[in-house]
Amino acid sequence: MKEYQAVIVENKEIANGICSVTFALPVATKVRAGQFGDIAVGGTHLLRRPIAICKVEENLVTFCYQVKGEGTQRLKEMKVGEETSVLMPLGNGFFVEETEKEVALVGGGVGIFPLISVLREYAGKKTINAYMGFRNKGAVCGLEEFEKADKFVGVTDDGSYGEKMNSVQAFAADLEKGYRPDVVLSCGPLPMLKALKKLVEEKNIPCYVSLEERMGCGIGACLVCVCDLSSGAKARVCKDGPVFNVTEVEL
Amino acid sequence: MANLSVNLCGVALKNPVIAASGTFGFGREFHELYDIGTLGGVSTKGLTNELRLGNPTPRIAESRGVILNAVGLQNPGVKHFIDYDLDWLKGTGTAVIANVAGKTLEDYQAICETLDGKVDMIELNISCPNVKSGGMAFGIKPETVEEVTRVAKSGLKKTPLMVKLSPNVESIATNALAAQSGGADCVSLINTLTGMAIDIERRKPIIANNTGGVSGAGVKPIAVRMVYEVAQAVKIPVVGMGGITRAEDAIEFLMAGATAVQVGTANFTDPYAMPKIIQGLDAWCDKHGVKNVSELTGTLTLNQR
Repeated sequence: MKEYQAVIVENKEIANGICSVTFALPVATKVRAGQFGDIAVGGTHLLRRPIAICKVEENLVTFCYQVKGEGTQRLKEMKVGEETSVLMPLGNGFFVEETEKEVALVGGGVGIFPLISVLREYAGKKTINAYMGFRNKGAVCGLEEFEKADKFVGVTDDGSYGEKMNSVQAFAADLEKGYRPDVVLSCGPLPMLKALKKLVEEKNIPCYVSLEERMGCGIGACLVCVCDLSSGAKARVCKDGPVFNVTEVEL
Repeated sequence: MANLSVNLCGVALKNPVIAASGTFGFGREFHELYDIGTLGGVSTKGLTNELRLGNPTPRIAESRGVILNAVGLQNPGVKHFIDYDLDWLKGTGTAVIANVAGKTLEDYQAICETLDGKVDMIELNISCPNVKSGGMAFGIKPETVEEVTRVAKSGLKKTPLMVKLSPNVESIATNALAAQSGGADCVSLINTLTGMAIDIERRKPIIANNTGGVSGAGVKPIAVRMVYEVAQAVKIPVVGMGGITRAEDAIEFLMAGATAVQVGTANFTDPYAMPKIIQGLDAWCDKHGVKNVSELTGTLTLNQR
């Protein structure tokens, strides 16, 4: 974890309401798939915005985000050449064990972006099936990244692109046909993660999910972004997560 | 290089900049970024006798210039703090201020007895706005402020007592006087102002607790005014906080009558906020020929009306 003064080299809308911003850091950096950065957006915004790291190439770091409130709107309006503070990499990230050869990625909405970072880290080293759900055709993005997957299934809520279903249903359909990954990595809206938790627990497939929560400090000090563990304890999404074993976390 | 050290009711602080409770945990996370031993002090996450899991999430919301939080005193309990964090925190060289809360007078007495002699100072949280049983019941009326202060003080033979005051009261100066009468060695203010932020799509408050404590840059003028009023009223030292983001903000509080300051929300905006404020204080003092930062305390003169 470090604070970088980062300069925007690209900031563009890549799908309806979804943007991609690339920062140049002063030095090359390395991150683990699924880690995130906390971006200062300035103005009257006292809280940074925690956003998934999608791609790292040397000193260039790309974050993808949904424009949801004033803070992300401000980030969208930031211009190429503008400098801001980025605290990164944060969180534990995804980790695929040596023994896990077949990996399934199940993502929905902006949850696809941390999974793209998994593809970039593990493509060619693992056999990866990617099941991605989008709201509609206009929200579809990242297709050039999913070409790296051994199999890609894209679906939409309204059937305007791919089949009309969510990504968990698409994944379940392949399980029915006998597909059995060694591990499932997922990120997406809470109802999607709940459905996935039920499915993988029934089928007894190891699964890790990346959670989202409103954050304060982003580094584990303020106890704002906690989630419930099955043990009854609380965990900090920013520091202990954002990636949790699905069987150990209450959704 | 100005002399930044201050004496806060017998406790020597390297400088007047203290991490505010709840924004800094027990210091470990920020220590990954910089040496927290360079800080004047750290006020710990609010401690209770037993572990507390806190409120449901979301626990935070943002509004222009401020944030709202309702963490609800999640903490591992005072014993866990003593066993796992206290020695480490002391070892950094910063002054350790244990922020404590309770449900009952007995809770306050017990936790003070537990920590007496183990920390540099106790900060009595009688003004957490986010927990019904977080001491707020004691923090509103001057009579109960005095009573809880007296009871807490009775549990302390060695360690000085700081009482943290709520701004959500009729007169914060009256409550400060009550804390002084109850035996407080100093007071700190302001705790957060109770507020609400609404998600208009859902027509519900953003924070699960519905209301939250408002803090951050936007509350500073309110806090400065209250620190001034309290400093005028009491004889004991005052520790000021509320929206301090830069060295210049800290200087306002010192001039208004504070001996030291606490920095909270600014740590979220810039994790290096406190080292920058300390550096800025030094630079400002040098530029203005101030040899000891303590000379600034209470030097405000009001405009003639």
